[in-house]
Amino acid sequence: MNELIVRIAGTAGQGVISSGDIFSLAAARSGYYVTTYRSFPSEIRGEGQCAFQLRISQEKTYTVGHFSDVLVAFNQKAVDVNVKHLKSGGILLVDSDEVGELSGESFMEIIKYYVPITTIAKDVASVKAKNMVSIGLIAGLISQIPMKEQFKNDIRRRYAKYSEEIIDSNIKAFEAGYEYASSKLERHDNLNNISMSKSGEKLIMSGNEAIALGALVAGCRFYSGYPITPATEIMEWLARELPKVGGVMLQCEDEIASVTAAIGASYGGTKAMTATSGPGFSLMSEAIGLATMSEIPLVVVDVQRGGPSTGLPTKSEQSDLNMAIYGTHGEGPKIVLAPMDVQDCFIQTINAFNYAEQYQVPVILLSDAAVGQRRECVDLINFDSLKIVNRLKHDRTKDAGLYVRYRNTKSGISPIATPGDEGGAYVATGLEHTELCNPTSDPEIRKMMVEKRFRKLETATHEFISAKKYGPDDAKIGIISWGSTTGAVLEAVDMAKDSGYKIQALYPRTLYPLPQEWLQDFLADKEIVIVVEHNYTAQLLHTLVYRCNSINKDIKFFEILKYDGSILSAREVYDRIDKIIRQQSLRYTFSNDTTEHQYKF
Amino acid sequence: MTEYKPNDYKSAVKPSWCPGCGDYSVLNALMGAMADLNLNPADTTIVSGIGCSSRFPFFTSTYGFHSIHGRALPVAIGLKSANPKINVITVGGDGDGFSIGGNHFIHASRKNPNITYIVMDNEIYALTKGQNSPTSHEIVTKVSPYMSVEERVNPVMMALSFNTSFVARGFSGDVVQLKDLITQAISHRGFSFVHVLSPCMQYNDKITYDSVKEKIRPVPENHNLSDRIAGMQLVLEVGTYYTGVIYKQERPTLGDKLNEVKAKSQANLPVDFSVRDIVKQFS
Ligand SMILES: Cc1ncc(C[n+]2csc(CCOP(=O)(O)OP(=O)(O)O)c2C)c(N)n1
Ligand code: SF4
Ligand SMILES: [Mg+2]
Repeated sequence: MNELIVRIAGTAGQGVISSGDIFSLAAARSGYYVTTYRSFPSEIRGEGQCAFQLRISQEKTYTVGHFSDVLVAFNQKAVDVNVKHLKSGGILLVDSDEVGELSGESFMEIIKYYVPITTIAKDVASVKAKNMVSIGLIAGLISQIPMKEQFKNDIRRRYAKYSEEIIDSNIKAFEAGYEYASSKLERHDNLNNISMSKSGEKLIMSGNEAIALGALVAGCRFYSGYPITPATEIMEWLARELPKVGGVMLQCEDEIASVTAAIGASYGGTKAMTATSGPGFSLMSEAIGLATMSEIPLVVVDVQRGGPSTGLPTKSEQSDLNMAIYGTHGEGPKIVLAPMDVQDCFIQTINAFNYAEQYQVPVILLSDAAVGQRRECVDLINFDSLKIVNRLKHDRTKDAGLYVRYRNTKSGISPIATPGDEGGAYVATGLEHTELCNPTSDPEIRKMMVEKRFRKLETATHEFISAKKYGPDDAKIGIISWGSTTGAVLEAVDMAKDSGYKIQALYPRTLYPLPQEWLQDFLADKEIVIVVEHNYTAQLLHTLVYRCNSINKDIKFFEILKYDGSILSAREVYDRIDKIIRQQSLRYTFSNDTTEHQYKF
Repeated sequence: MTEYKPNDYKSAVKPSWCPGCGDYSVLNALMGAMADLNLNPADTTIVSGIGCSSRFPFFTSTYGFHSIHGRALPVAIGLKSANPKINVITVGGDGDGFSIGGNHFIHASRKNPNITYIVMDNEIYALTKGQNSPTSHEIVTKVSPYMSVEERVNPVMMALSFNTSFVARGFSGDVVQLKDLITQAISHRGFSFVHVLSPCMQYNDKITYDSVKEKIRPVPENHNLSDRIAGMQLVLEVGTYYTGVIYKQERPTLGDKLNEVKAKSQANLPVDFSVRDIVKQFS
């Protein structure tokens, strides 16, 4: 076994998240790949249950896995809610001060350790240190993986801003847990079989941090925003880091001010971004159209959560795709991207800035709560090989005549002047305008300008629009996903391969414009195509069917959809693929979780 | 150094306003003020929202941003914060500034960016052909065919209550005074607001050059410009519009504070600090 999946569960406020954080940081800093998942209730400190799952491995993984090897439960409710996530033969470690003898069917196949976690914590520190005792216990159970010192370093780092006394008592609690596991637990589990070799130095960060860092690296020096879960960390991180490199973070009165301030800053020559979630994204619609019409580079991040309205503020969903593609009134170019994991948050944010600058359009980055909130390992950044694009500036030494801001060029891209540039004065406007910025409703000019703006997307299509494929080219079964569901899909394709199914996955790198040629090529030989999304209406599928109307072939389309606030695991995706393939002979199936729609092209 | 004349700020575009529209006076006053201050048009941006008055940027030779309805202020603040060397002048109408964009006026006052905000108040939505605005008197319009049902806001009182750091009122019928007020406003370090009573020839006969002329009086000579309460008392006087500077307070601007934030964040950083160093926190 060269991976380990641990789940820690308890009531919000019991330190579940902080112990998960420390665990994942220590593992990453010890040289292993780490993927994490946290679920927590909306209330900061209510009765709600929360859980943290982490997967430590020798090689990169895309998801946090489905069943855990170890489950630590702080109370009975945590046991009840989470025991179904434990592997058969896995370890359930409970606080025996809170949880009584466990019996019944669900506990038959698992190994139970009853440890008086509360008492140990009280003896060496205080009740609050229960979470440190429990990570000490796990560290003791996997002592063949040398992480003990790194654990202590990360506990110190985590509590660095507190008193020496608090740091000490947390370390003591950790040591006590470690000691207890090493000396008192009569071991009859499989954890000793885990062996992992290290895979070199990496960074570890959350998706939101990766977006903020990506922005900084791409050259963003202005951020404006309004707090909203689950996007706020982007703003908080940039508030701290942007001024260090001379940038500005402005907290605005609402999302309309946030996006328009970013547009103002970008008009002024500074790369600018705003980030939000669904409700704020809705408010930004009109201004995104302004950026399109006035051709001002802009990056808008939507860390999606469950909608509509206030919806599920802390839960992940992929339901803003339609809004990102079609949301603003009127028609005009914009680019929509979605990161598939934390590493990709970093990459796609840099892409977002590069495309915004290159094509002078708004770029929307559709992240979500799942990827935004989880920590993962990210490759070290090779600054020398990074490609950073800056907007095509008006150059008076080459073009000394009258400056024509919206010149109708072949590529659609016109050189842009910045306030302060002599001879570049122009009026940016949301009104339809001539090449010289004058308002017009002349039908010829209107037509020319609509086409000029859209031509930038055609140029973009040739320059960077693509998709990635995974799995054998001769597969008759295809699976398509976007953004954060892709990780589970790729792992499911591997699982399917082990069961003898030949499946090929495809995930677009841009959602708008869609990589049509890639899709058509992918669909050409497929008989069954399954689309996986975290929404109810299969938004990508509908866009895809609409866009790829030139396919003249009967393909059976299936949907794997989830919209209950939890995220699809690779196991779930695999199970549903398996079911679809088995039911395939049925013409039209309607069951709770798998719907088949037949699309005729 | 170039010496700019008012006409140097004129663009090739002929204003689209109706003959007699109060906004012409504001354009002339602003061009005069920019000449008096010798602002380089290339270093100056006029930002507006949507409305008759917001057409303004097309008529000047400076940079311009004709944005969307009600959002001129945040656009201007973003521009100024990112590019502090630009002189930013924001213009618009009463509907743009006190209705759809009203919230931004509060927060611009709180932020105190070093920009100027000129509102041409014709007490009507003119571009949309005459509907009640937040400053309309009791008027019959197509959307209030029987009567108006809302009260008016007093924009100068709003500014004083938000503690806008420079507050003045002018009148399109007095370009000389208006030019002086705009010059002072642009010279003020901080968020300066100039409320201009600016008649519309088409859609509102409740505010005409004659009717305003009857009601205006200069701010008394002995008025204490730093006394906000005294300013409010002037403004609340029924039946009189005091014109002139009403309130002025020197305080740190948004730019000053952003510089302070930068200085604090950089206090303990090595001189060659760069983004590469920021990455280290993730290892
Ligand atoms: C979001 C939005 N709502 C409505 C409009 C229509 N609209 C354009 S200008 C305007 C009112 C203009 O009044 P004011 O700001 O006082 O300017 P004026 O024309 O009087 O100078 C309205 C309602 C719009 N452009 N955008
Ligand atoms: S309608 Fe009124 S505000 Fe508009 S241009 Fe004519 S006079 Fe001026
Ligand atoms: Mg008006």
